[in-house]
Amino acid sequence: MAKVLMKGNEAIALAAIKGGCDAFFGYPITPQNEIPEYLSKYMNEHGKVFVQAESEVAAINMVYGAAGAGARVMTSSSSPGIALKQEGITYIAGAKLPCVIVSVMRGGPGLGSIQPSQSDYNQATRGGGNGDYHVICFAPETIQETIDTMKEAFDIADYYRNPVMVLVDGLIGQMMESVDFDRPIKQRFLPPKDWAASGTKNHPGRNVINSLYLEPKDLEEHTLGLHKKYQSVIQNETRYEMINMEDPDYVIVAYGTMSRVARSAIEMLEKKKLKVGIIRPISLWPFPKQAFKEIGPNCKGILVSEMSLGQMLQDVQIANKGRLPIAFYGRVGGYVPEPEELYDAILNFKKWEVLD
Amino acid sequence: MKRITFIVGHYGSGKSEVAVNLAIQKKVDYLLDLDIVNPYFRTRELTQMLKEKNIEMISTTPLNGQYGDLPYLSKDVFLPLIKKDCQAIYDLGGNDAGAIILRQFSEHIDESVDVLLVVNVFREQTQSIDAIIKQIRSIESACGIPITGLINNSHLLKETVKADLVHGDALVKEVSKQLHLPIVYTAIHANLYDPSFEVSGEALVLKLYLRKSWL
Repeated sequence: MAKVLMKGNEAIALAAIKGGCDAFFGYPITPQNEIPEYLSKYMNEHGKVFVQAESEVAAINMVYGAAGAGARVMTSSSSPGIALKQEGITYIAGAKLPCVIVSVMRGGPGLGSIQPSQSDYNQATRGGGNGDYHVICFAPETIQETIDTMKEAFDIADYYRNPVMVLVDGLIGQMMESVDFDRPIKQRFLPPKDWAASGTKNHPGRNVINSLYLEPKDLEEHTLGLHKKYQSVIQNETRYEMINMEDPDYVIVAYGTMSRVARSAIEMLEKKKLKVGIIRPISLWPFPKQAFKEIGPNCKGILVSEMSLGQMLQDVQIANKGRLPIAFYGRVGGYVPEPEELYDAILNFKKWEVLD
Repeated sequence: MKRITFIVGHYGSGKSEVAVNLAIQKKVDYLLDLDIVNPYFRTRELTQMLKEKNIEMISTTPLNGQYGDLPYLSKDVFLPLIKKDCQAIYDLGGNDAGAIILRQFSEHIDESVDVLLVVNVFREQTQSIDAIIKQIRSIESACGIPITGLINNSHLLKETVKADLVHGDALVKEVSKQLHLPIVYTAIHANLYDPSFEVSGEALVLKLYLRKSWL
């Protein structure tokens, strides 16, 4: 397939198909509606499953059921819709099931707006579900990267038997780019799903999908098992990009759309004879803490920029361990900071410094 | 250019950028944003800029604001159709879902009206002649009005090369031949435009107004 021009949401849908998605369950919400719209046409025509559920809660529980039966399954939603899915997500994580969740962030809190935001970083990386669990979360910055991530997400979910979230803001969902769907992804060995509750034909006895462990001994053992798995995710799936990071004067930390703004800003700063690098987290959980150890000795500070009032900021503070001064610049309400704003924030670093 | 131009087409075919460029270059009196499908990149975001160019923007009511998510149109959208001494461009939403609202204008459709379909052969759903014709038929049946011409807007954004324009021209020409529809404009981004390049219909040199410069 040659290059085509795709809208972010459509590309997510087509990439899911290319990634081997068997079933989609969702409920409409702006600004991600092109995902279910696209899949509604395709899935039924190709003998796969598409259900527009009666609610987000129903949709995520359908995902739970289909994942338990061994299907490669996904749902998509936006901020308040993802909030509604949290209970189902912790059940899925607790039952060690794979699924892909796409979150296209809009304004919040509450109904907020339909304009883009990054104010669901905490929702994605901390989650609203109960218990000791994690959702593996990737935040691509271009539509091409979103496609590659989506295709791989199903394999990562299957490999770790854990929910994987692909997190973008509404701008990536709605914008257009020319993209290629045939880029190769990492090949992984995926064992057969002999744990799936899909009948007893291929194995003796009965498989049970469950997240209830009443005996302390059993629940501790189960949770420690999850914990061990998460350590391996941290070790193997942490992703980030270092841009212009050879001995920078300042470092901007930004993900998704904001890292694109930062790329323009550092070009402007270059003309001012300031060397500014970018740490771009691609996996938000696991957060790439090790990137911060690589910041050179002459760096004067870290500027975190988000389309929120400072959520990833906390992860940067943890990773920085008090070493460098940290400043924060963010916009909310649907505004995307312009490169000029980041340029000014670096030049007036003290003004935006976070004092805690 | 006719007094009234309705711009229809596939999602993301470039209707809004084409509509804004046409409105500015042809110095029309009104630009109407009838997009009730798409939540972002709508022409109404340019209200102020267009006002400075003496083009009045008509979209939703002030109460709804610019960023509403309601499938609602102000009655003001009938103004250019009733007021005969003005020129207007109507920018509709994508696909049949966006074009369906044209039905309410059926009694105003006459010789002074063009319904132009924007096509980009690099959009994933409109890459072949058959797919484009299918799209045209589905839009026509939704809006109940025949399409009167084509606007070729084939491109891959920054990655467009001249060979892409040639490919787009060849495909849209074939659609034009099969459906007996004229190619009224060929849109080309200003960075790629070369006056020596022969295009079908009138060349419409595009400046992108809705896309952020850093994208």
